[in-house]
Amino acid sequence: MQLFVDGIFLGSIYALFAIGFTLVFGILDRLNLAHAAVFSAGALVGIEVVTRFGLSIWVAIPIVFALGALLGVLIERIAFRPLAGRHDAHFAGLISSIALGAIILSVLQALYGADTRRFPAEAFPSTRLEFLGATFSLLQLMILVISVTLMVVLTWVVAKSKLGRGMRTIAENPHAAAVLGLNVGRISSMTFAISSALGAVAGVLFTLNVNAANLGIGHAVELKALAVIILGGLGSLPGALIGGLILGLAEVYAVNTVGSSWRDMVAFGLLFLVLIIRPQGIFGARKVREV
Amino acid sequence: MSEPILSVEGLHVSYGRVDAVRDVSFAVEPGAIVALIGANGAGKTSILNAIAGLVRPRSGTVRFNGKEITRRPAHDLVKSGLVQVPEGREILGTLTVDENLSLGGWHRSRTMAGSIAEVYERFPILHERRKLQAGALSGGEQQMLAIARALVAKPEVLLLDEPSMGLAPKIVDEVFTVIAEIRATGTTVVLVEQNARRALAAADVGYVLETGEITHSGPAQDLLSDERVIEAYLGLS
Amino acid sequence: MFEYSSLLTFIALTAILAFSFYAVLIAGQLSLAQVGLASLAAFTAALVVPSEPLFGFIPPLMIGVVFGMAVGGIAAFVLGLPVMRLRGVFLAIATLAFGEMVRIFLINQSWTNGAQGLSFPKLVGIETAWIALALVAFWFWRLSGSRMGRAFAAIREDELAATTMGINVPRYRMASFVIAGAVAGLYGVLFVHFTRFADPNRFSFETAVDGLVTAVVGGTTFFVGPVLGSVFLSALPEVQRALGIDASWIRPAISGLLLLVVILFLPGGLAGLIPRRKSSTRLVSDPEALPQLEPLPTRGTEVMALRALGKSYGGVRAVRDVDLTLATGQILGLIGPNGAGKTTLVNMVTGVTAPTSGTGTVLGIDLTAKTRAHRLARAGIARTFQQIKLFNRLSALDNVLVGGYRVSRDTLLRRLVFLPSARRFERQAAAVASAQLIRVGLGDKATIAAGDLSYGDQRRLEIARALASHPTLLVLDEPAAGMNHVEADRLSELIRSLAADGVAVLIIEHNVRMMLALCDRITVLNFGEVIAAGTPDEVARDPKVLEAYLGANDDAAAEAAAEELAEVAAESVKDADGDAAGAEGAR
Repeated sequence: MQLFVDGIFLGSIYALFAIGFTLVFGILDRLNLAHAAVFSAGALVGIEVVTRFGLSIWVAIPIVFALGALLGVLIERIAFRPLAGRHDAHFAGLISSIALGAIILSVLQALYGADTRRFPAEAFPSTRLEFLGATFSLLQLMILVISVTLMVVLTWVVAKSKLGRGMRTIAENPHAAAVLGLNVGRISSMTFAISSALGAVAGVLFTLNVNAANLGIGHAVELKALAVIILGGLGSLPGALIGGLILGLAEVYAVNTVGSSWRDMVAFGLLFLVLIIRPQGIFGARKVREV
Repeated sequence: MSEPILSVEGLHVSYGRVDAVRDVSFAVEPGAIVALIGANGAGKTSILNAIAGLVRPRSGTVRFNGKEITRRPAHDLVKSGLVQVPEGREILGTLTVDENLSLGGWHRSRTMAGSIAEVYERFPILHERRKLQAGALSGGEQQMLAIARALVAKPEVLLLDEPSMGLAPKIVDEVFTVIAEIRATGTTVVLVEQNARRALAAADVGYVLETGEITHSGPAQDLLSDERVIEAYLGLS
Repeated sequence: MFEYSSLLTFIALTAILAFSFYAVLIAGQLSLAQVGLASLAAFTAALVVPSEPLFGFIPPLMIGVVFGMAVGGIAAFVLGLPVMRLRGVFLAIATLAFGEMVRIFLINQSWTNGAQGLSFPKLVGIETAWIALALVAFWFWRLSGSRMGRAFAAIREDELAATTMGINVPRYRMASFVIAGAVAGLYGVLFVHFTRFADPNRFSFETAVDGLVTAVVGGTTFFVGPVLGSVFLSALPEVQRALGIDASWIRPAISGLLLLVVILFLPGGLAGLIPRRKSSTRLVSDPEALPQLEPLPTRGTEVMALRALGKSYGGVRAVRDVDLTLATGQILGLIGPNGAGKTTLVNMVTGVTAPTSGTGTVLGIDLTAKTRAHRLARAGIARTFQQIKLFNRLSALDNVLVGGYRVSRDTLLRRLVFLPSARRFERQAAAVASAQLIRVGLGDKATIAAGDLSYGDQRRLEIARALASHPTLLVLDEPAAGMNHVEADRLSELIRSLAADGVAVLIIEHNVRMMLALCDRITVLNFGEVIAAGTPDEVARDPKVLEAYLGANDDAAAEAAAEELAEVAAESVKDADGDAAGAEGAR
């Protein structure tokens, strides 16, 4: 039982990252590799706000959210919008977002150095809870609740709201979107802003949970999140949540049976297998682009 | 003679170093139907796209309601009443008919419900299918949806790009009936067509394009009876 | 000099890594598996590299290099089998996953000593590294002017157009993958024998990104790119040190900025700044250089037979029950309004889309779901596209050279050893291409990039490219669109001369006068169905055609128009005969 609970909580962290990530990758069809840097930025700035200014974590989270949104707008403006209409836009966006991610990380390094940093121990109540004989922290529960809530809210936004309708229109046919008078640039910016804001907050929650943050944490989670997104099905928000939970469970059980040194094989093995066997994932909302 | 609602002056459109439209000028009277006819590659669609703000012209000016709108972004123009029904319809196949129509009212959220109801009244078939994915409609229904979607935006000027493409003659008749009705409500129509006779029969004024330039123009009735025009259009020069 | 020797070695090795990315990027593929392949090669090579020269004269490093390159290439092939059907970003993700799987696998093996790392003998110094780099660069230099190099470039620019030139796209994609694997293997072996110590974590995702960044910054359209990229990025920290700036964040910031600038504003990378001839080949107008091409089948040989061919998309029947035949020396016209299904029909005939009903045989190949467009192209079909599909960044002449793929020979191996026959074959290919370019009137525009030509010139270039394959069946999809009538007349003459040479021509065109004068037979499509077929004369008199085309819906107008057309048809047939007679007389 403890294993199961641990797996669910680990999975909810992956899902938290993946939900923001797939909003841009799955819906707008742009793979934003600067997302990892936003995740790191959220974590490090969150630590800074709490330690330097002594603010409560509940104040830090909205600040980080706003910072993430700002970074998202910058990423869209700098790394993606100038590429619109270029025939190699997919490939070029991948590279330009890697480049912008590296720049963001170097700024973080200039500000905070390359060392591992932590939240102060009292930043978040370390209450532990028990359920059916398994123990977990209040924070873990909170992360799970946030992930599920986000999935539900964002699914609603994409399916029902005006913004979501705009997003889906741009994804399906950017030309038609422009003809209909949708402000394609603004809708893309908004989507990137939401995605990055969530990524930055995910960075804070992740760091609280493992109690350590450095420049590279984003990359490790980013690769796992790719696995989660592809596993769950590109463009599907429920898929991102369930994919995250599956990966979390699989990792926990794998560590328990074959040892922790094989843990990361699970994510990449799953990712690789899904891509060659069922590229549309479990909840494949749409087919993986083949041309 | 009234002020033109839309005027194009010395329009030049190029893609890279490729000229698609060369020095095209024309003016559209309010409430008129103007037809641009010509073969594929003559530059008809490029002209419409330049007017609608979807491609940036290299030079020339476009005026709408007396104001210069050259190079204004498409979403501004739709808001101000210049709406295009694009070539190939470009309906959103995975969205429902309802959602497609509501996209037409992107800038008019408050009054949109009313215009959608009006549009459903004119196109009862769409009302019947409002919950269906638009991709499941027949070609004719999709064309009606594309026109209906543009009408939700309450256009002053409607730019129609090849509305008869790929449709059976009976459906083409219906499309042209709808175009006549739209004009009857006071909306100005710029019609790009390959179906030259139908377009000229419906229009007040016509322009014939060849390789990016206007080669003939005049009242549509005159063009229709002008053998040279039909010959030129068919390449019978 | 001595203090820089390890920097210089490092530059060479990084350049080799960048070349392993270059190898796939030149074919438009993005793979991130190279670092995993390098790691696999390096650690398995450790098992076979002897401590003494083999047979007393083969140096141990040589054995490691050969072994490592073989491991890299073979592993890339095995990996390629399942992942090759993925494209773009998804290929990148799958190969990235593979690289990480290799890393985790190796770290858990006892023979690699896991995360503790393994010691290697120091076998690589500055000379070895630069010799290896020179050889790799040499390979890519010789590749770039060969038929294989052109095929890669064509696939990068437009995969569909490349397929219709007869290029077996999956096989070439795999070839680029295997080359990348072998170069990556070379890098892995050299790298560990230079650093003398490595663990599998040294070959991580970050390393892959470094290699990719180096290749992209340097430029992926010119073989000196990876070297430039490596020099530039590896030298950055040294410059920084010389300037006395020791903040470690400066290097990633600058390289990030540089990468951003390159990808946004300099698609050719740093190598794109080097001035050089736009075209790698020059026009060869010497008729002596033309090779002897296989004669076309005798006039009147049936090359296309369609029976009740149809295609539906979902519930929409784009084409239904079309019967058509065509023999060499004939010109068959296909007319009908936009959306009538003409292009769908042509796509089926050229193997681009599979029919959903009926049967068809083209040049002896049955049209089924399994028919590959490149096989039809190799059998002798060539086409142009309604939406022009040129290789935009290649020069006009290079476009036509790719078109000549079918009738030219691969010269890569000959080029590597500078055999005189390589030059001869290349001269022949250039002569074929030049002749076609001159034939369509673009001889003076040979070096201009295809994307920069005018619309009419682009149409003509597509025709030249199709002709360069010496086709038996030529399919033209609206070749005169965007041409004025003088240009269209010249095009008609060209097509007539091709038919006179014995080529079978299938042409879609809206220019009715041109079609009436040009075609032997015309088939009229509307709503995917044949509504009329026959000689131009018969078709021109058919009121259904007038209605479909002109939208004349009252009978009187249709009749009048029909008469008009029939007259024109009669006249133009006369004209054509006159022309032919005149030409005869001139001869």
